[in-house]
Parts: sequence; structure tokens; C-alpha cells
Amino acid sequence: MPREDFIAVDHFSFFYGAKQALFDIHMDIPERQVTALIGPSGCGKSTLLRNMNRMNDLIDGVRHAGDIRLNGSSLYDPKIEVISLRKRVGMVFQKYNPFAKTIYENVVFSLRVAGRNGRRELDEVVERSLRSAALWEEVKDRLHESAFGLSGGQQQRLCIARAIANQPEILLMDEPCAALDPTATLKIESLIRDLKEQFTIVIVTHNMEQATRCSDRTAFLYMGRLIEYGSTRQIFETPRQEETEAYISGRFS
Amino acid sequence: MSIPPQQAPDPKRFEVSKGTLLFDRLMTQVIRCGGIAVILAVFGIFLFIVKEIVPLFSGAEVRPGEVREQTGERPQVLGVDEWGERPFLYSGRDRITFISATDGQREEVEIPGLKDKVITATAYDPVNRRVALGLDDGSVGSFIVAYQTEFADDGSRTVKPEITLEPWFQVSVGEGAVKALAYGDGGAARVLVVAREKGLAVLRLAQKRALVGKPKLALAGTDDLTSQVNSEILGVAASQNGQAVLVADASGEVRYFQSDAGKVSLIEVFRPFGEEPPVRMDFLFGGVSVAMTRQGGEQKIFSLFRPEGSEIRVFGETKSFDPLGSGTPVFAPNLRNKSFLTGAGGRLTLRHLTSGATRWEGEAPFEPVLATFDGKSEHFFIAAEDGRIQGYRLDDPHPEAGWRAFFGKVWYEGGSGPVYQWQSTGGTDDFEPKLSLIPLIVGSLKGTFYALMFSVPIALLAAIFSASFLPHDMKRVVKPAMEIMASLPSVVLGFLAGIWLAPMVEDKVPSILLLCLSLPVSALLVGVLWCRLPMKSRRLFEGGREWLLLLPVLGVVAMVAWSLGPLLEKALFVYRDPGGREIADFRLWWPQATGLPFDQRNSMVVGFMMGFAVIPVIFTIAEDSLSNVPKTLTAAAAALGASRWQVVRSIIIPVASPGIFSALMIGFGRAVGETMIVVMATGNTPVTSWNIFSGMRTLSANIAVELPEAAPGSTHYRTLFLGALVLFMLTFTLNSMAEILRQRLREKNKIV
Repeated sequence: MPREDFIAVDHFSFFYGAKQALFDIHMDIPERQVTALIGPSGCGKSTLLRNMNRMNDLIDGVRHAGDIRLNGSSLYDPKIEVISLRKRVGMVFQKYNPFAKTIYENVVFSLRVAGRNGRRELDEVVERSLRSAALWEEVKDRLHESAFGLSGGQQQRLCIARAIANQPEILLMDEPCAALDPTATLKIESLIRDLKEQFTIVIVTHNMEQATRCSDRTAFLYMGRLIEYGSTRQIFETPRQEETEAYISGRFS
Repeated sequence: MSIPPQQAPDPKRFEVSKGTLLFDRLMTQVIRCGGIAVILAVFGIFLFIVKEIVPLFSGAEVRPGEVREQTGERPQVLGVDEWGERPFLYSGRDRITFISATDGQREEVEIPGLKDKVITATAYDPVNRRVALGLDDGSVGSFIVAYQTEFADDGSRTVKPEITLEPWFQVSVGEGAVKALAYGDGGAARVLVVAREKGLAVLRLAQKRALVGKPKLALAGTDDLTSQVNSEILGVAASQNGQAVLVADASGEVRYFQSDAGKVSLIEVFRPFGEEPPVRMDFLFGGVSVAMTRQGGEQKIFSLFRPEGSEIRVFGETKSFDPLGSGTPVFAPNLRNKSFLTGAGGRLTLRHLTSGATRWEGEAPFEPVLATFDGKSEHFFIAAEDGRIQGYRLDDPHPEAGWRAFFGKVWYEGGSGPVYQWQSTGGTDDFEPKLSLIPLIVGSLKGTFYALMFSVPIALLAAIFSASFLPHDMKRVVKPAMEIMASLPSVVLGFLAGIWLAPMVEDKVPSILLLCLSLPVSALLVGVLWCRLPMKSRRLFEGGREWLLLLPVLGVVAMVAWSLGPLLEKALFVYRDPGGREIADFRLWWPQATGLPFDQRNSMVVGFMMGFAVIPVIFTIAEDSLSNVPKTLTAAAAALGASRWQVVRSIIIPVASPGIFSALMIGFGRAVGETMIVVMATGNTPVTSWNIFSGMRTLSANIAVELPEAAPGSTHYRTLFLGALVLFMLTFTLNSMAEILRQRLREKNKIV
């Protein structure tokens, strides 16, 4: 039975120094579904996403209030190492960012840093991850070439393969198609629909059609506040809030 | 809403204003000029250095003059005035012939008092232009050819010869005519070596000062050496100062007698050519080396040196030259430097003792039997059997230069073997300059090596820490502080190193050794313990503030290590003096244990201080390149569960490696070229040794120390420029290689 509150954002507020970026966000994200975060630029959707694996810790002068729980355990539990936490959560960034390494080494990076170096295990992981990311057929003959030889869309799928190599529970995607052309975008979208069989996916997107095409739930954020959260169909067909309607109908962006 | 009436668009709206265009073009030209000027300036400096060096590597220039007609007599002595204008020939009679080198005019001058004497042997000392004479009755005497130079009102110069006869001495030893003689003029104490048909004697002459009139030369004693030589005497030679006397006999043996404090004693018997005797023994300028030539032209140099463990200087073979060929060998020592003219059978070569180089080679128009140099080393003359003479103009400003002298091992006069040595100037004019650049190159590399050994780990680790671990607010303080450190004048650092640090650490070496060992180890131990601490207490110092915990630990460890130093010294570094007493002192222990010297101003001190000059340079550049690694990469690695150190190791360092590499290279360049610190803190001894507890002299310090006192245009001066070029080439090649490597690294770790 999939859990309804797989990611539980519990009255979460977030500050960059003196500036408050998130105001008392409260939402439950269900297991093995795609949840889209939409909203105009600067509304805090990326901030919320990046808090789900504490990537914002890398920035100086941040603080938070409230809590986020992954599968019941708090992100801010002082007994938990932030490193082991991040291993439960894969992340795909807006701009594809493979390392200056071979395709193979890119995929197995998360295993290498965990000290898992068994040749057979790594080979299996590479094939499985690249197949999941729908990239295997295209790159299987040049696994040991530089990742920079791939096209933009292929590089982004490589990043997805890299993010899922260690089989995390959650996959966070921060506008994964923003730097891609329409064909590559469609490929990634269909990949997202396939990946939700295995992962709980949270995706930040500017593209509302993308949200309708590949998400099950949609949350609309505006000015750091969660305005409306529901099934994608409900949000786009019968928005309950005025701002939501105004946004999805394109009256402001 | 009303639409404003349509106006005709301004036709000038697409034009660019004249001022903008003018300024744009002006700035383009200004920038172009500036850029080209900089490139030209650098190139000009390089050209200037090369221009100063080129004369070092060109040989001697020799222009022959005209052959002057024959006198018909076989000359025994050929001499010349210091201007090279009026050479003279003497053939053992009562007349002497002067020939003008400019117009060939001949003048015969009578020598008073020689009318009815039979001269059986002559010897010539070109320095005093003294012709020594031996007679058939066994008496010896000499006359001096002097030239009076008169300057007319129009500045023209006339040279007038003047002959002064010196007293005669009857040799009381042996019998028969004088066969060979040699005159050594040491000023107050002189020797006359006389070989008669039977008997060998050394006459010691003393210059006695009188109250009125000229000082008188008198016989101070005669030493009979007849019994010391077994076979027939073929030749004798005396050094310029009269202290060394050489006697060659028919068995091939050469005996070295030393005349010292009124006593002549046999020091050494040696065989320069085995069974065969030398046909010529000629002392070179300085009187320390003698050139032995045998029939067939084989030529060897024997120099006085002190063999290891001996107090007495003996002659040893230091160099051998290519054979001169068949014919009668001629020889003339240069009176200004260690070069000499030699040859046989019509071929002439100008050779140099120190470098062993052939400065010039040429063919004489006749087969010469005599040769001589003028006092200024600007001319030399040769004379043929039939009395023809020819003058040559010589232009050889840098006879002691050459590849071998600068970069090869050379056996210098007085040394006990070939060495690399730098000693550009000495106390006397006949000093042999030692111009090997090897000790200076080694010194430069040594200083650089120890400085980098100290600074590279510190600077790189600090850069990594600051770029990837230190919180932003602290980094904002640390980085400018380091940059200020880079601007510390190196003369201040050098002063501190020489006056404060060197005396302070001199007796604290064991403490420093302990520090170098204990600080890194304790830092690692703290790291291990840190991992064992519960999360809760670690939280207190998280986020790059862990060093606050490390600092007091390091402070305590440093204090403990410092105070434990003397104990370590007592335990390990105990010197046993010849009396059997034990002294715990590293300074005494090190020379005893390793055989290497311990100096107060040593490479360790320089390493520390130069390290301080280099650390900020490496730190700043390395930190910049580490900080500039795109955040997307580090974020991606962090999101994949890499720890901070794993991110640094597997992502940041590879991407930043070209920048780190150039940081190291710039640090290297700074250390190699650093001058003030090494001038003040190394002692400037040009030793070729990698011993950390001895000083050194670097190429740059050498230039700083010696250039002010080098005469412009001299060999010394040009050699300093050669040092500058070597320094330039050293950094240039290393930087070029580093740049190629850096490009490779950048290509490999390129980010899209």
C-alpha cells in the first residue's frame, strides 16, 4: 500500500538570511507518484524542492522552521548524517551537469563515493540505470568515452541515470527540461512517467503543459506560500483559488 | 487614445557620432601600441642580455702584421715593449737588434761590457724583460731591456730602448761553461738556476737597500744541487717569484726544488712523459702551473696542488692538450692571463689553461723558433731561425670563458681535482677566476626545492580548506589577509630570516623536527577522534568551524613538542668529542654523523622564509581556481551522497587542477627568482651540495652581490649576465613545459 505522506512537509518555513523564502508550507507528497510544483519565478518552488535533500545547507546563512519528514523520519534529526540522507534522495538539476568523467564513471559515482567498487556490481548498475533512463541503447558502445560527447538531452538522461543509480526512494527534478529542445523534452517526460513505477518523483516546472502531461498531483506556490495543492486534473480544470486560476490561464507568470 | 501625428523619422538615427568612432579608433591604437611596446620591451631585455653574453663565446681575434726582414743570425731571445711596437732580437753577442713593428726600421744597439765575453746560454724573463746570460767561464749575469716612452705635444708616442747591465756573479759550483740557466725574480729574493757542463747550482740573490743610491743586488748564497741529479741536465726553469725551480734530466725525470727562506730543498721527482724528457718547461702566468712539451708536440700542464692529507704542495698533471705536431715547439706565456701561445712546425695555437680551450689557431708564414707576448696582451711576435719576425694583433677580451669553464668540471690551479666552483675574483692579479655556474644553478634549485617543500603542502591545503570548507564569512577575512602577506617586501622577510630566525632556530633543530612530525600527526588524530564523537557534540562545531577545536590542540602539541626538543637531542643527537666527552648538540652531531657541515644560515631557514613569500602566491591562485569550480558540479556530487572531502577529491581538484598547476608554477618562479631573502639569509657560499643545513648561493643572489663590483664589459660582468640568461631559460623552459601540461589537464577536465 503506497504511503500518502511519503514526503511530509510540516509547517515548513525557510529563510535566506533575513529574507523569508517559504511561509509555513504544509503538504503531503504520496509515494510513487509524480508531484509537480508550479508557480511564477521566485515563488519558492525550487527552494522547497532543494530543502527535500537539504541542498540549501550548502548556502551560508540559511535557517528554517518546521520540519520535513521522508518516509516518517525527520530530515533535521540530529542523529542523521546529511550525507546518508542525500543518498535516499536523487536529484536532477535544471542544467545538465555531468562530471568530467566517462559515461560509466558518471553513472557509478554515487556507488564509488559509498566505497562500492565491485566490478560486476558496477556493470550491473550501469546497465540497469541507463536502461531505466532510456539511454542504454544509445551509449552502450561508448561507456568509457567522455560524457561531454553526448547531446544535451542525452546528457540530461545520463544525469537521471546517475541520480537513480543508487536506487534512491525519491527523485527530485528541478526543471529538468528547461535547457532542452522539444524532442528531448518529450523523451524526458515519457521517462518520468515510466520512473514513477519505482520512485516518488517531485518535479519543479515552469511548463504547465508538462505538469499536466506527466504529474499526478500539482502544488501551486505563490510568493513563498502554498496556494493550492490537489490532483493535477483538479488544479487545472477546477482551481479553487483565484490566484491559481489566474496563473494557469496565463494572466501572470 | 490619440495617436501622435506621424513625423518623418530622423535620417541621422542610424549614424554613429564622430566622437564615438574617433574614441573607439584611438583606444584601439593606444591599446595596440601598449601591447606591442610591452612585447618589444621584454624582447629587448632578452636581446640585451644575449648581446652581453655573445662575446664570451667568440674566440680570439688575431690579425697578422707584416713580416720583417731577416737579420741573418739565429736569435736566442725575442722580446717586445708593452705597446708591441719595437720588438728586439738577441742572438748571444754584444749587440741587440730592435725592429720597428710599424715600419720595419732596424736599429742595432751595443751592449756595454759584453765585448769579449763568450755567451753559452741565455734565458729570458718577459715580465721584467731581463736577458740572463751564462758564459763559458761559468759566470752568469743579466741585462734588462727597458723602453722609455715619451709623449710628444701632439700626443704621438715614441719608444726608446735602454739597456741596463746587472752585476756578474761567478758560480763557485761545478766546472765548465754554463749550459742552461733560469732567472726567477721574486723582487727582494731572486734565484738564478745555473746548469754547467758539470754541476748544478742555485744562486740566491738579495736586493740590498743602500742609504743613498740604487739598491744593490748581491749574492746571498749558492746551493750546490749537483749531487741531487743523476743524469745529464737538459733544461732548467724557475717560476716568476723564484720559489719553484724545475730541473729536467736526460732520464725523463723532472725535479722540483723549492727555494724558501734561504734554503733550496728537493720536494718531488716526477716523470711527465715517462722515459722521454720534456723539450720545453714553461711556467705560466702566476707561476703555479708549468707547461711541459715533448718532442712531437705532446703538451701537459702540471700544477702545484696539495694532495689530500698533505701539507706540501707538489706538481701534478691537471690537463693535457692535443699534440702540436712535429717541429720545434715554441711557447710564450701570456703576461696578463692564463692563456699561452704555442705551436710547432709553423702552426700556432693560442690555448687557455683553465678551460683547456683553443682560443685561436693559425699558420705562420715561417717556422718560428721564438714567440713572445707584449705586456698588455694586445700583440704577440714570432721569430724565425733566420731572424725574420712577424707581429700579430690579438683581440681576446675573454680568454677564460667557454662552455667548459661555465658548465664543466675544471681542475683549477691549486685544487686537488676537477671541481665545479664559483670564485670570480681573488686577491691578486694572477688569480685564476673560477666561473662555473653549476654551484649557482644547484643553489637556486636547492633554495627553491626547500622553499617549495615547506610552502606547497601548506599553501595547497590552505587553499582547499578555504575554498571548500571554510564558512563564507571567515573566508572573507582569510583571503585578503593572505593577499596582504604576499605584499610583504622580501627584504623584510630576508632581514627577519637572517637576523632573527636563523640565530633563533640554530640550536632548536630537534624541536623543529618534532614540530614537523607532531603537528600533522596530531591533526590527523584529532580527525579520527572527531569521527568518534557523538553527532550532538559535533553539531556545535559543524559547517567549517571544526578548526576552532583543532587550534588549541595544535597549540598545546606545538608547545609540548618545542619543549621536548632538548630531550630528543639528549636521546638521539649526542656528539662525542675527541676526548670522549658526550655533548648533546645537534649542531655538532650533524657534521659527525653525516660528514656535512652545519651552518647557522642554512637552507632550512631559507626554506621557511622563502616559503612565507611563496605561500600567499600559491594560495591565492590555487584558491581562486578551486573556488571557480562550477557550483552545479559540486551540488550534483553532494546530491549523490558524496561527503565534502569526496566532492573535493573527485570533482573540485580534477577540475581545478590546471589552476593549481599554474599556482605551483608561479610559486616556483617566485622562489627561483627570489633574491633578497637568499642574499640575507643564506650566507652566499657557492657550494654544490644539497645538504639542508648548509647555505648556498643562488643565481639571482649572485647577480645582486657581484654585479655592482664587476667592471662593465669584463668576463666577470658578462658571466653574471650569462647567469641571468640561465635563470631566464630555467624559468622559461619550466613554465613552457608547465603550460603545455596545464593545457592537457584543462583539455582532460574541460567543462562544457
